Amino acid sequence: MTESNVPVIELRHVDKHFGTLHVLKDISLSVNRGEVVVIIGPSGSGKSTLCRTVNRLETIDSGEILIEGVPIPPEGKKLAAMRRQIGMVFQSFNLFAHMTILENVVAAPRSILKQNKKDARAEALRLLERVGVADQKDKVPAQLSGGQQQRAAIARALAMHPKAMLFDEPTSALDPEMIGEVLSVMTELAGEGMTMLIVTHEMNFARRVADRVIFMDGGAIVEENTPEEFFAHPQSQRAKDFLSSISEH
Amino acid sequence: MKNPSIRDILYEPPGPKARRRIGITTAAALLLIAGLIYLIIRQFAENGQLDARYWSFFGRATTWRFLGEGLLSTVEAALTGALIAFAVGFVLMRGRLNRFAVIRFVSAAIIEFTRGVPTLLFIYLFFLVVPQTGWELSSFWKITLPCAISACGVVAEALRSGVNAVPKGQREAALSLGFGEIRLFYQILFPQAIRFVIPSLIAELVIVLKDTTFASVVSYADLMQNAKVLISNYDAMLSVYLVVAVIYILINYLLNKLSEYLARRMNRGAEGRTS
Ligand SMILES: Nc1ncnc2c1ncn2[C@@H]1O[C@H](COP(=O)(O)OP(=O)(O)OP(=O)(O)O)[C@@H](O)[C@H]1O
Ligand SMILES: [Mg+2]
Repeated sequence: MTESNVPVIELRHVDKHFGTLHVLKDISLSVNRGEVVVIIGPSGSGKSTLCRTVNRLETIDSGEILIEGVPIPPEGKKLAAMRRQIGMVFQSFNLFAHMTILENVVAAPRSILKQNKKDARAEALRLLERVGVADQKDKVPAQLSGGQQQRAAIARALAMHPKAMLFDEPTSALDPEMIGEVLSVMTELAGEGMTMLIVTHEMNFARRVADRVIFMDGGAIVEENTPEEFFAHPQSQRAKDFLSSISEH
Repeated sequence: MKNPSIRDILYEPPGPKARRRIGITTAAALLLIAGLIYLIIRQFAENGQLDARYWSFFGRATTWRFLGEGLLSTVEAALTGALIAFAVGFVLMRGRLNRFAVIRFVSAAIIEFTRGVPTLLFIYLFFLVVPQTGWELSSFWKITLPCAISACGVVAEALRSGVNAVPKGQREAALSLGFGEIRLFYQILFPQAIRFVIPSLIAELVIVLKDTTFASVVSYADLMQNAKVLISNYDAMLSVYLVVAVIYILINYLLNKLSEYLARRMNRGAEGRTS
C-alpha cells in the first residue's frame, strides 16, 4: 500500500463565504507525506478558516478537500473517522478543562480507538514524556502554564496517531518565553517526518522548518514557494509589504 | 490555597478607618435587631403566647416523633420529585438542543408550559382532574408528581445554559480528535455543564422542597400537614409555626452548604484560574 505519491491533504478550488464575505477564494494546495507547509499572511486573510476546513470544522461552499485521495465525508461516523486521522492544535490549547493532563491524552484513544486502559496510559505517558510535561500529568489544565498546556495538547493529538497535523497559530497565545518550548516540540515532530500544515507568525521557525511557504491575502493564495526563495525574493507587492511590516518589529 | 470569594474580588481589604466604621455599623445593627426581638417577645408575652401550654408539648417525645415523621415524608417527596424533575429536565434539555426543529419546538413548548404554570395548579390537576379519568394515585404521588412537573422545565433550562456555557473550543477539540456527537456530549460537554449549574440545581431543589408544603391539599402527611395537626390539637399556632419554620430554614441552610461543598469539590477544573 504505497500511496506516497498521493498528497495527504489536498484542496481543489475551494471557495467559502461568511455571508457576503468571500473568505476563501479558489484555494488549491496540497501537502505531501512528510512535508511541512507553513501558511502566513496578514490578519483576516483566511488562514484559520483554511486550516479549519481541512477537518471540516468549517464547511465549504464549493471545491473538494481530499485526505489521502479520499473526499472528506460530509457527516456522521465517517466524518468522525476521517477527523481522527488529522490532529489539530489550537491557538487556545482547548485541553478538556474537567480532566487531568493524563486523562486528556488518554480520553480519545480509550473511547474512540477502544485501546485498553494500560496501553493507552503507557502510550500517553510516553507522549507526555516526549513533549516534556510528564511531571504535570495529574494536574488539571488550568494549573499549567500556556506552554505546558500547548505541549500537552500536541501530545493529546499525537495519541490518535494522525496522518497529518494542523496547527492554527499554536504560539500566538503564549508569553514570549514559552514560544520556544512549543516550537522546539514542533521542530522535532517535523524532523521525525510528520506531515504538517502550520499557520504561524513565527518567521524564523518557518524559515527553518518549512518545506514550502504559502502566503495568503484577502482569502487567496498569493504566493507559494520554498522558504529560502520566499523570504529572499518575494514576488508580489503584497508579500513584500507584509514581510517588511513584520520585520519592523 | 483557598479560592478567593466574590467578596474578596469585589472589595479591597478594609483599612483601619474602614474597620472602625464597619465595627460601629455592626454594633448599631446588632443593637437594633436585639431591640426588635425584645419588642416581639414582649408583644408575645402580653398576648400570652409564651404561656407554658403553648410550649410544654415540645417537651414530649411523641411530638417530635410526629414532626419527624412529617419531616421524613417531606424529604421523601422532595427528593423523589427532584430526581424525577432532573430526569425529565435532562430529556427536555436534550430535546431543546436536538437537531430536528420539531423536537426542539415541542421541548421548548413543554418547558415554557411547566415553567409558566404555578405548582398549585398542577396539584389541583392531580388532585381533582386526574382521579376523574379513573387513575387513582396515592397522596404521595399526588404531591410529588406536580412538584416534579413544575420543576422540570427550570431544570431543563438550567442544564441547557450550562451546556451553552462550555467554551466552543472544547467542542472543536473533541471533534478534531474524532469524537462523535454522543460521546462529545456525555464525555466532554455535560460533565463540564453540570459543574456550572450545580448551584442552580440545588436552588431548584429548595423550591421543590418548599412546594411540597402544598401537600396538605392532597392530605399527604408531610411536615407542614403534621404541624397543622399539632396546631389544632394544642391550639398553638405561633409556637408550632415557629418551630417548623426553623426546621425548614435548617434544611435549606444544609442544602446551601451542600451546594457550596459540591461547587468547591467539582471546581478543581477551574482551580488556579485567575480570570
Ligand atoms: N464564524 C465566522 N463568521 C463570520 N465571519 C468570520 C467567521 N470566522 C472568521 N470570519 C471572518 O473571516 C475572515 C478570515 O478569518 P480568519 O480567522 O480565517 O483569518 P486569519 O487569517 O486566521 O486571521 P488572524 O491572523 O487574525 O487569525 C475575517 O475577516 C473574519 O472576520
Ligand atoms: Mg487565525
